[in-house]
Amino acid sequence: MKYEEAMKRLEEIVSRIEENKMDIDQISDALKEARELIRFCKDKLYKTDEEIKKILEAED
Amino acid sequence: METLSLLELNGRVKSTIQFEMPDSYWVQAEISSISPSGQGHCYLELVQKDATGRSFLAKAKANIWRGTWLKLKPYFEAQTGETLKVGMKVLLQVTVTFHEVYGYSLVVQDIDPTYTMGDMARRRKEILEQLTKDGVIGLNKELEIPDLPNRIAVISSATAAGWGDFRNQLDGNIYGFRFYVKLFPALMQGDDVERSVISALNAVADRRDDFDLVVIIRGGGAVSELSCFDSYNLAFNIANFPLPVITGIGHERDDTVADVVAHTKVKTPTAAAEFIINRVFDTATRLEDLTRRMGDAVQDRMNSENVRIERLSQKLPSLFALLKARQEQLLETVWIRSVNGVRNLLTAQTHKLEIVDKTLSAADPAVILKRGYSLTRAGGRVVKCASDLKRGDRLTTVFADGSVESEIV
Repeated sequence: MKYEEAMKRLEEIVSRIEENKMDIDQISDALKEARELIRFCKDKLYKTDEEIKKILEAED
Repeated sequence: METLSLLELNGRVKSTIQFEMPDSYWVQAEISSISPSGQGHCYLELVQKDATGRSFLAKAKANIWRGTWLKLKPYFEAQTGETLKVGMKVLLQVTVTFHEVYGYSLVVQDIDPTYTMGDMARRRKEILEQLTKDGVIGLNKELEIPDLPNRIAVISSATAAGWGDFRNQLDGNIYGFRFYVKLFPALMQGDDVERSVISALNAVADRRDDFDLVVIIRGGGAVSELSCFDSYNLAFNIANFPLPVITGIGHERDDTVADVVAHTKVKTPTAAAEFIINRVFDTATRLEDLTRRMGDAVQDRMNSENVRIERLSQKLPSLFALLKARQEQLLETVWIRSVNGVRNLLTAQTHKLEIVDKTLSAADPAVILKRGYSLTRAGGRVVKCASDLKRGDRLTTVFADGSVESEIV
């Protein structure tokens, strides 16, 4: 998944809860998904991605 | 016929020039060659080209002596940001000299940098007009910088201070953001800038999916030599580039053509790094906001759900009381109905019993005896027929109030 997509999905979930478009049973699933999305984004921001490092260090 | 030695002839030319052209003149020309000497002088060759730019209309040597050069060089560079170089249009104040051995030459007294700047500005304008006409000038600006631009292709000179500044600024960002930077080396000064930067851009374009954006940077320095970035070909390549291009080529003056077509132009490599960090900071802030909003939204929702439950549970006792009352009423009704039912049943039964009783009573021998009948027994059996008896049988006649013995005679 790309960072953009994760943010978009997160935005969608938050808005739906804010707008009361989710019932209580769905909220706990949504909360779980949101937590995973936030972790994904934070990792992208603050953690070194060895995969990207490897790609960039490769010679042309 | 008078004959002259060459020296005498050259001497006459020299004195004629000195006599006829004693003043200094402001002359416009293009530099066709320039070579600083070991003694600190500077030797120029000046030309004037025809309209096609291919053939020369005039040509002259010009010398800037050490004393003048020491003053003019820093002045000119401070004003224009450029060093004097081949192809540059200049306005020079000169005196005309003739030397018996070295011939005709000009001696430069002064230079007017505004003329050169005007010429550069005019060329820049022409290039921009051409780029506009070709419909490419705004192309790179239309690209969007992604939310998380942390894979960065840098086009710079590996030895440039600007490259180090850029890296340090990124790596030392106080937020702890991660960046992935790859250098695509290119010459950032001199005549080969255009070719070198374009070939670096091509190398990045071959791997465009590995990067979020391109940064073209170089360190500042006393002389910025920006005119090499006023290039149609370079600008065309930047404008058409598939990733956003950020320029930070270290200058304070007018934008170069490369700056104009780039997605974003900043002044220095450090500023380029700051720009990217701020971009990621915005994204991180958005993520924080979303995280907080998520927490708030769930909390709010839970609170309102709690209020609902609370309200319901407050209602429960009264609901229960109502229910109880209803149940009691129902019970009451049932009770009354049952009691009535039982009572009716009992009455009916009693009545039945009475009838049975009456019937039974009517059949009771005692009752019959009381009505005046009597019962006759003989030999312990009830006598039902007179023919069953014979003379001498002893009879017991039972009355309501007792019995008597008798004998048949």
